Amino acid sequence: MAMASSESPAAAGVRWLMRWFSRSWLFLVFFAAFFISWELLVDWLEVPRYILPKPSTIVIKSSADLDRLVYYTWVTGTETVLGYAAAIVLAVPLGLAIAFSRFLRQTIYPFFVSIEMTPKIAFAPLFISWLGFGLLPKVIIVFLVCFFPIVLNAILAFGSLSEELTRFCRATGAGAWRSFVKVRLPAAMPQCFVGFKYAAINATVGATIAEFIGSDQGLGFYIQIVTGNMRPDLAFAGIFFLTVLGLAIFGLVTLTERLLIPWHISVRRAA
Amino acid sequence: MSPTTATSASIEIRAVRKLFGSGAGEVHAFGPSDLRIAPGEFVSLLGPSGCGKSTLMLMIAGLLERTDGEIFVNRDIVDAPRTDVGIMFQDSTLVPWRSVRGNVELQLELRGLDTAAYRDRIDDLLHSVHLDGFEDRSPYELSGGMQQRAALCQAIVHEPGTLLLDEPLGKLDAMTRERIRADLQDLWMRRRPTVVFVTHSIEEAIQLSTRICVITPRPGRIDHVIDVDLPWPRGLEVRRSDAFVSCLARIQEIFHGYGVL
Repeated sequence: MAMASSESPAAAGVRWLMRWFSRSWLFLVFFAAFFISWELLVDWLEVPRYILPKPSTIVIKSSADLDRLVYYTWVTGTETVLGYAAAIVLAVPLGLAIAFSRFLRQTIYPFFVSIEMTPKIAFAPLFISWLGFGLLPKVIIVFLVCFFPIVLNAILAFGSLSEELTRFCRATGAGAWRSFVKVRLPAAMPQCFVGFKYAAINATVGATIAEFIGSDQGLGFYIQIVTGNMRPDLAFAGIFFLTVLGLAIFGLVTLTERLLIPWHISVRRAA
Repeated sequence: MSPTTATSASIEIRAVRKLFGSGAGEVHAFGPSDLRIAPGEFVSLLGPSGCGKSTLMLMIAGLLERTDGEIFVNRDIVDAPRTDVGIMFQDSTLVPWRSVRGNVELQLELRGLDTAAYRDRIDDLLHSVHLDGFEDRSPYELSGGMQQRAALCQAIVHEPGTLLLDEPLGKLDAMTRERIRADLQDLWMRRRPTVVFVTHSIEEAIQLSTRICVITPRPGRIDHVIDVDLPWPRGLEVRRSDAFVSCLARIQEIFHGYGVL
């Protein structure tokens, strides 16, 4: 039962909002100034609407196309999340295996490092020609874009336990599994999250470019079509929805990081 | 499994030598040297940085393979990590994702012991090093001295008969060192484990030890073994005694002879 002195959820919400505002007001003012300047400059310089529309025009015109934008956000979001999740599920155990296997370190690891230098997006036309315009080739492209940073960071994470902690585990007589669960896994989490966050930033980029190359739905497809129809207002709306999608995915990863490793210096500093 | 009290162990080192690397890159890190430590002794390995004293400690713990010679703990040859010792490493083994209590319990959990059975012992230990009220704090919320005291509790919670301490006070300020020195002495006097204490502080070695092994600069060899005949307990005032000053002068003379002082 709540204590009489504790504040209500609404009051706590207001307090959180006030605190957030007091920390973020400068950022909000900058954003407002950016959009107001854009609005005024387009009018003042008489920029044609088919070159650069005003923010107010973008909002008004795109609201008529909101259903399509929301649906395409769902499509692109699905491709992104599936590819990203598949990359995490496969890359983390593989990174772990490579960190502990000399054979894999001498075979797969150099191969992965060289592949990391290849722009994965260059494979997109091939996958689309092999697998068509559907969901699968986009998921594979997102997977490829995300997989390598995650696996390389996972190798680094699992192979970097300090000498002291390694010796400490050995001196207790703990087996590999117990040492892994109690020490090695939590110690590896911060470096793993470096990979997760880097991949999250690139995941929507992969999905969008894959849609540019060959698709009949999704935000990448939408931006390409409306740009061809001389509708930059709608293209900007598509870009805005892509930004929101990217921020949502990155925000979710960051939130997970805060919940799983609140003790890490990067999380403590951010808080 | 419930808490047990292990008996102090004897340690014997016979012609132990350690080389790192091979060929042109070979480094002679330690030895050959011999040493016998009786159960319940507090022996310091004293020498300049890089003389191989930490290497010797790790070899006693079975955490580093020796190149030649034999090491026995309680007459058992050391050929694998010893799980019956308590070790404090130069760098902290406190993990940031656990509280102070959680870190002490980590030693037990890794050993597959029931932490509930050790609850009172952990309380006693934290109390004895003045960490009451900090049990639920994270290591990063503690000062350097408090972290070292928590690390000491972590190293001894399973009641080892032998303690191997690798410069546990090396990174602390003078006042904190004094406090932890007193805690360490108190702990040794109450339980009498066999202690191998690695240090490069002559005063610290004299104040805490029953015997001091003076190690030469690299390649380190145990060159002198000095009995420290001072009354217990040894507080700060012992440093003004004639016996302390003459012991200090003798060791300084030895290091002067090595060219490190």
